[in-house]
Amino acid sequence: MDRREVIKLLALGSALPALPPDAFALFVGLHQSLASTPRLKILNAHQDATVTAMAELILPQTDTPGAKTARVNEFIDLIVADWYSEDERSFFLSGLANLDARSQSLFSKNFVDTSATQQSDILRALGDEMAEESTALRTAPRGDRGTDPEPDGNFYFIFRSLALTGYFTSEIGFRQQLHEETIPGHFDGCVPLATLAPGKYS
Amino acid sequence: MAVTKYDAIVIGSGMTGGWAAKELTEKGLRTLVLEAGRPIVPEKDYVEHIPSWDMPFRGMRDRKKLQAEQPIQSLCYACEEPNSQFFVKDTEHPYSTDSGKPFRWIRGRQVGGRSILWGRQCYRWSDLDFTANLREGIAVDWPIRYADLAPWYDYVEDFIGISGEPLGLSQLPDSRFLPSMQMNCAEQVVKKAMAKNFGPERTLTIGRVAVLTQAHRGRAACHYCGPCHRGCITRSYFSSVNATLPAAELTGRLTVRPFSTVHSLIFDSGLRTITGVRVIDSQTRTTMEFHAPLVFLCASTIESARILLNSATSEFPTGLANSSGELGHNLMDHIKGGGARGILPGNEDKTTFGNRPNIVYMPRFRNVQQKHPGFLRGYGFQGEADREGWDRGAFQTAFGADFKRAISRPGPWQFTFAGYGECLPNHDNFVEIDKSQTDAWGIPTVRIHCAFGENEFAIRKDMSIAAAEMLSAAGAISIQPFTDTDPPGFSVHEMGTARMGRDPKTSVLNSWNQSHDIKNLFVTDGACMTSSSCVNPSLTYMALTARACNYAVEQMKRGEL
Repeated sequence: MDRREVIKLLALGSALPALPPDAFALFVGLHQSLASTPRLKILNAHQDATVTAMAELILPQTDTPGAKTARVNEFIDLIVADWYSEDERSFFLSGLANLDARSQSLFSKNFVDTSATQQSDILRALGDEMAEESTALRTAPRGDRGTDPEPDGNFYFIFRSLALTGYFTSEIGFRQQLHEETIPGHFDGCVPLATLAPGKYS
Repeated sequence: MAVTKYDAIVIGSGMTGGWAAKELTEKGLRTLVLEAGRPIVPEKDYVEHIPSWDMPFRGMRDRKKLQAEQPIQSLCYACEEPNSQFFVKDTEHPYSTDSGKPFRWIRGRQVGGRSILWGRQCYRWSDLDFTANLREGIAVDWPIRYADLAPWYDYVEDFIGISGEPLGLSQLPDSRFLPSMQMNCAEQVVKKAMAKNFGPERTLTIGRVAVLTQAHRGRAACHYCGPCHRGCITRSYFSSVNATLPAAELTGRLTVRPFSTVHSLIFDSGLRTITGVRVIDSQTRTTMEFHAPLVFLCASTIESARILLNSATSEFPTGLANSSGELGHNLMDHIKGGGARGILPGNEDKTTFGNRPNIVYMPRFRNVQQKHPGFLRGYGFQGEADREGWDRGAFQTAFGADFKRAISRPGPWQFTFAGYGECLPNHDNFVEIDKSQTDAWGIPTVRIHCAFGENEFAIRKDMSIAAAEMLSAAGAISIQPFTDTDPPGFSVHEMGTARMGRDPKTSVLNSWNQSHDIKNLFVTDGACMTSSSCVNPSLTYMALTARACNYAVEQMKRGEL
């Protein structure tokens, strides 16, 4: 029985006891995701809350909307569900679980339940570890490749890449934060930053 | 009943097929263009203005679908999320290679072919290129010289509209230019540094590009949206869909038949001419024939060779028009993957506005004035400066409001030099029919045997050394030379499988792109090339096509075909 069939049963108003046990499990899962947002493909409500909180911490609401308003969580959910390989998906999801484990050991709470200061402490620690990995990669022999290798085995690096992509490729990020235009109309090769958009680079 | 007899048949509707269609119809011939792929309606099919947020994967592409259907095509930079439908499905178009010798065959099957997707860089060849084989005793001599092609460069450039800067260099003759695009701040810094440190031998110039900087022959000036390879609703860049096919249509003598996969050519051994073309309807799989007294083969380098190889007869058992034995051989592609990038300090208070669909270019400087000890021929550099974007933020450890503000500002200026090098013709690089495999239409596919040689590798190595040296002279920091291992095919400049030459014993085509063996057969796509130069080849294919059409129609009028 898949989700669609469960939904159909629900729509028909079937009594709960009539549902087979596996459908009941799906039913619970379904309601958990419905509670947060119906668009999610793989993240459960708790995972979604964790992703949303962490992305907003990195790219918060300021004078422009932040990651949450730009629905960065939905983009990350899509990538994890439909773009990642199985290995990448489980790496990402265990990264989220490890985040809670770290938070539990430090503050005896899941990441989303800690204070803003505590969340920032965790992100700083993750950042330090990512920087160490980056440095190690940069100093290792890399043959003839011209680009620095990315620390793509690091969950925090992967998360930051996804959050940045999700935000800056959204209409909010592109228009309101970057003040970019899809059809500029002309090209100027050397324009003072200050003249581009009022207040953009102040 | 559908018409099946025409004055001329053009196979392929891309870069050269479009030119053949325009020239032949304008000269009065009722012309049928056979295109294997679907029709393209710009208003419906062009996707250049789809913003990232309207793409499901925000530009990261539908990775699983691409891996399943287009594992080779998706290796091409131009195969993006909204336009991957302009590339073939590899699952329908298999080909084989030798183990350890990959060849990346990038293909577009639709009206317009790959002219929708091309990089639009346009450079004339010079006699340094046309005489190279003769001087060095490599392969065979070109049967033409620059003077033969110069008026035809003028002719096609006048129609195409190419923006650029005249330099007066002997190794890179100037085109007829529309006003050039601007270099940006950092590119101007590098240009000055090159002039100061290397003199006139190494000149940095703006790319010569088939994108309009002003209205030209009914097509509008560029609006600088950026991704030309997704189409252009204002027809500002040149493609057959945007320019040549509409011109041919205006004559009232053009018939384009999409979904027409050519199986082979029909040879009449008594008349010693091609009498027609065998076609499989790509949708219904019905077989049919079209007839004409003149055939232009413009299906692309490897496809054209494949059609001729698949057209073998008892008289031409190794492939039609192959008395020389050179058909399918001498496959070349420019070697790339050598260069360097670095950070250019300065101009932090300035940036660019708009998306320039063009690069900067450094014409070939090796083996021009003095002989290089390490290799023959040379390479040109494509380059570009831009400011690092928000993606640099993934590495950083900062987060929060200050980070968000900082990462939204452009990062440092970075400059990249990437070389495109000449590939020597080599008989051992060739395509043949793979009898064990057919495509989705039951047509035998090709096996490609191709690898770069010592000369190409020496060129690639020099690219990264010279690029790093020049970036250093320009004051760049964090210079990172690179030598990638891109296999042949990656430049998508494949050519040479039916070369031109003076001697029918050693070449497939004569000096007019006409088959030595069969007078009413002309091949004017990249297959005709006798050597590869180091510059982007499309402009030369187009000039050769217009020249060959003019000759063919003259000959036809004289009853010589």
